[in-house]
Amino acid sequence: MKALKEPMTFVQGWRFLTIGALLYLWIAHEAKTGSYLLILLLLVLASLRWRFGRLPVWTAFADAAVCLAFVPFSDIGVYGLALPIFEFALKGKWAVSLLFFAGLLVPSLPSSLLFWLYVQAFLFGAFACTALGHQRDYKREADEQRKARQELERIRLELLEANRAVSRQAELMERHRISRQLHDHLGHDLTGASLALQAYEYVSDPAEARELLREVGNRLERSTTRLREAVHNMTPVTPIGADSLAYIARNFRHAGIADIRFRQSGDMQRVAPHMWELLEACLKEALTNIVRHSNASEAEVELQASETIVRLRIGDNGTVHPGDLSGSGIRGLQMRARALGGSLSRGWDNGFTLVCVLPLEQGGGIDETADSRR
Amino acid sequence: MTIFHFALKRSFGNRANLLFLTLFPIACIFLPSGEGWPFLPYGYQYFGIFILFASIRLAAIMLEDRAKGVVKRLAVAPVSHLRYISQNLLAYLCIMVVQCAVVVIGGLLYGQQLYQPAWLMLLYISFSAASLAVALAWISLYRNKEISFLVFMPIVFLVAILGGIMMPVDIFPEGLRRLAVVFPTYWLAKGLDWIAFGESIGPFLLVNGVLWLYAVVFVIMGSARKIE
Repeated sequence: MKALKEPMTFVQGWRFLTIGALLYLWIAHEAKTGSYLLILLLLVLASLRWRFGRLPVWTAFADAAVCLAFVPFSDIGVYGLALPIFEFALKGKWAVSLLFFAGLLVPSLPSSLLFWLYVQAFLFGAFACTALGHQRDYKREADEQRKARQELERIRLELLEANRAVSRQAELMERHRISRQLHDHLGHDLTGASLALQAYEYVSDPAEARELLREVGNRLERSTTRLREAVHNMTPVTPIGADSLAYIARNFRHAGIADIRFRQSGDMQRVAPHMWELLEACLKEALTNIVRHSNASEAEVELQASETIVRLRIGDNGTVHPGDLSGSGIRGLQMRARALGGSLSRGWDNGFTLVCVLPLEQGGGIDETADSRR
Repeated sequence: MTIFHFALKRSFGNRANLLFLTLFPIACIFLPSGEGWPFLPYGYQYFGIFILFASIRLAAIMLEDRAKGVVKRLAVAPVSHLRYISQNLLAYLCIMVVQCAVVVIGGLLYGQQLYQPAWLMLLYISFSAASLAVALAWISLYRNKEISFLVFMPIVFLVAILGGIMMPVDIFPEGLRRLAVVFPTYWLAKGLDWIAFGESIGPFLLVNGVLWLYAVVFVIMGSARKIE
């Protein structure tokens, strides 16, 4: 059935049908053995076109030459001129095609039959030329779109890789900043306090010993204050990671769903920062779909991190099957999940369920360089 | 010419094939002559049917190649499909030519009335080429060797009858007589008639020309690469 949608099938069919018609004319009216060669020669040319696809336009002159060579001996030659008319019209050489209408000048043949044979050959060729031209354009356009999509996919993968590298770099820089801050603000005071305590054992003057202890106390108090300040300054204001997911789930409660339960288990430190972006996007998409398409009153969000994977499941208690929800949102998320080596699936068996599973790298979000330094 | 040599060896590798390809032509030599019709001895009249069967049997080896995945492996080997087809066909044609020579020379030695043996030989070769091409086109429609052969058998008999090999076309009604022209067997029968009575070479060359044109048409149709 697929072949029937191809314009080329009709073109090939027309050629063989015309040769069949010539054969019928030959059997019914002529039956001269010699002119059967004409039909066979035309059949050879039609077979070549069928076998090798599009032959160059000049090959239509071969059809014309064969037919014209037989015109003095056989009427089939005149009828056969319908084939070059069709071939030239098919190639868009309509002026050349019309030249062969001169076959109508042969007086011995019924001119009306010949005229309509030529006209249908010309029109069919012209229509086929247009249809094949459109098909070529569509194919070219589809090829260009496919190429553009592949290019986009490549760029997207590069961006994902860059994102991963940037997050790793940011993590390293943050560690470096924290270590420098601890060194600058706490290191001196704690070292001073430690030295003072060691010196305390050798001091014999009680007044001097009290002074030393007071100094140690001051230094420890200052260190504690600076440590508290450093930790306070380093703690992010906006929620990140699992907290961010919990925050999103909380904020969706007042958007129509009465209750959203959020549960998490496992070591969330193993999840790389760039994965949180995708998990957040999945959660938002799922909750938006629930609000827009489902009649659910409750929803549940489960986040589990194991040794090898992180799994996010969002489910509701809705009873309405919203049909196909494979819009660009879900599709885009599926592609992103695949790019990270994971998967995203959805179902409507017991309410709407969306599950995103991502593989965790060995070492997870913790940088390996930390271990190698030890 | 590796494929050519291999095709020759494979054609005779099978014992049934060997018997079929050697015994039948020899048997044709010894068949008697008819009274009135056919004009040549029966063996020479019916040799066309044998050629059709031998062609499908030989061409079926290529069908076997396709079923076993040889064509698929060839597609990734530095051998063009054209070379594969042409060398196989050439090998089969060589076998057919040898059979034709055996039949014609054997008939001469046995003392059969062959009228013009050289032209008879040429006619058989032309028909062999057409017949091989028909077989090639036929196997391109099938995936199974046995089914292709089984369906081909009744068609061969039908074509042989309608074409005038098994009985003269003159006894057919007008419509069938005219339709007979489309079968290659008609041209073989016409050529055999010319061998017995022909004078001017023109009609005989036309017969051979038509048979070779059939060969070209069917080779083109059957040469499309089909990978399964």
